[in-house]
Amino acid sequence: MAGMPDDGQDPGPRLRGLEALLDAAADYEIINLDADGNVASWNSGAQALLGYPAAEVIGKPVSLFYEASDRAAGLPEEDLGRAREAGRLEAEGWRVRKDGRRFWASVITAAIRADDGTVTGYARVTRDVSDRRQADLMFRGLLESAPDAMLIVAADGRIELVNRQAEELFGYSRDELAGQQVEMLVPPRFRQRHPGYRETFFAAARNRPMGAGLELSGLRRDGTEFPVEISLSPLETDQGIRAVAAIRDATERREQEQRLRHQRDEIMELSTPVIQVWDKVLALPLIGTLDSARAARLTEGLLEKIAEHQAEVIILDVSGVPTIDTQVAQHLLRTVQAATLMGAASIMSGVRPETAQAIVHLGIDLGRLRTRNTLRDALQLALLMVREREGAAGAAAAVAAGGTG
Amino acid sequence: MSDMVPIMQVGDTLLVSLQGDLDDATVIGIEEHLTSEVARRGAAGTLIDVSGLTVVDSFIARVLARVVGMIRLLGSEAAIVGIQPAVAITLVELGVPMAGLNTALNAEQGMALLRRLRSDGSRRPD
Repeated sequence: MAGMPDDGQDPGPRLRGLEALLDAAADYEIINLDADGNVASWNSGAQALLGYPAAEVIGKPVSLFYEASDRAAGLPEEDLGRAREAGRLEAEGWRVRKDGRRFWASVITAAIRADDGTVTGYARVTRDVSDRRQADLMFRGLLESAPDAMLIVAADGRIELVNRQAEELFGYSRDELAGQQVEMLVPPRFRQRHPGYRETFFAAARNRPMGAGLELSGLRRDGTEFPVEISLSPLETDQGIRAVAAIRDATERREQEQRLRHQRDEIMELSTPVIQVWDKVLALPLIGTLDSARAARLTEGLLEKIAEHQAEVIILDVSGVPTIDTQVAQHLLRTVQAATLMGAASIMSGVRPETAQAIVHLGIDLGRLRTRNTLRDALQLALLMVREREGAAGAAAAVAAGGTG
Repeated sequence: MSDMVPIMQVGDTLLVSLQGDLDDATVIGIEEHLTSEVARRGAAGTLIDVSGLTVVDSFIARVLARVVGMIRLLGSEAAIVGIQPAVAITLVELGVPMAGLNTALNAEQGMALLRRLRSDGSRRPD
């Protein structure tokens, strides 16, 4: 009844041809099992793979080739049962050779049925796929050991593989992510545009950062958004090109950048201080090189302070400025002009001899700008000017009072 | 026109306060109105308060400078008071020729400035 006729009758040319074919498939173990799972036929591939000659295994249970632990767990019987029910079973697992060495096998088991539907035996094809498994393990190991969260995404946007870092970053388990659209990790306000970007990437796949120059955000399972940096690279597979996305949480970096910006602003503020040295007198000690950005800020800050303190005299102390060239002089002059328009007089102090030479050689006209050698002298002049103005104001008030009274 | 830009008199000084958005026609109107008022009232000084202006374009600036020149020709002194910081920066950037223009922070200091200018002016011929 079982697979191979054993009554000595000539199986005929067709069957002989089939046997030759089976023997020729040297890389494949192709065997028949009887209804109870005992080996009924054995090919040369089976001998090469498992190390047993036909005589030693015919009639032996197929569980002989399983690992002891799998045997104890009832895996051989389970495999046969599933093949019987479904008609066909594809599985992978460890197999053991005669010499005790094991290999990772890809096994297809098909049930053979008589006309009335009863299972009369099984055909089993086994292949050694240890190399592929090794490559697979390396790939997954690589994926898991990557410092960044990694997603492998198909052209249609389905997530195919994720690593542990991605699970942690987004708060989903890999089972929840696999097979889903990658857009689930994109904040809703960008979601609609994302498939278009994805198509662009797959149309000309190359290594590149995602959204260069943009601030990207990711969406966690709990609905919170966080800044991310993403680099994309194409991965060629048998099923077509896949996108490998390495995703990094950029929260810390963004915060750092913000801190830096803030610090720069503060330094700018510190480098252009405006000090009220006396009632209605402001001093502006300039230190370091004056560039356009600093000069603009300086003018702005000074004019605001003039309005705030109702200052009448400002002292620009340039003893801390290394060189005064045409540009710096222009900046200073503009500041003085703007202050004058507001009604505040300016005094410059601390001009060094070399600076004075340079100013004259350059032909820079500082106009009516009053200058004093030291800050002390400048302050004296400033106080004098304020007193003069107060005197005039007092006189004006007296006249006004006299006029109305 | 005088309804739009009221001219106040404090002692012998006229005070004009400019507010809001000024179009060219209004500015020209102020120019004419103010000069005739200075002549009519024989004011010794005039203060033009622009603290209510957040924007001053080069046309307005030029007209203001012109008015000050006219008032001086009428034998009176004039000063512009209350130029806002942003306006001052804009005027300097635009390069509007306002050098020689008398300016003060507010009306009070403007009064003192006019007083000083008049006493200087009266002293000079001596």
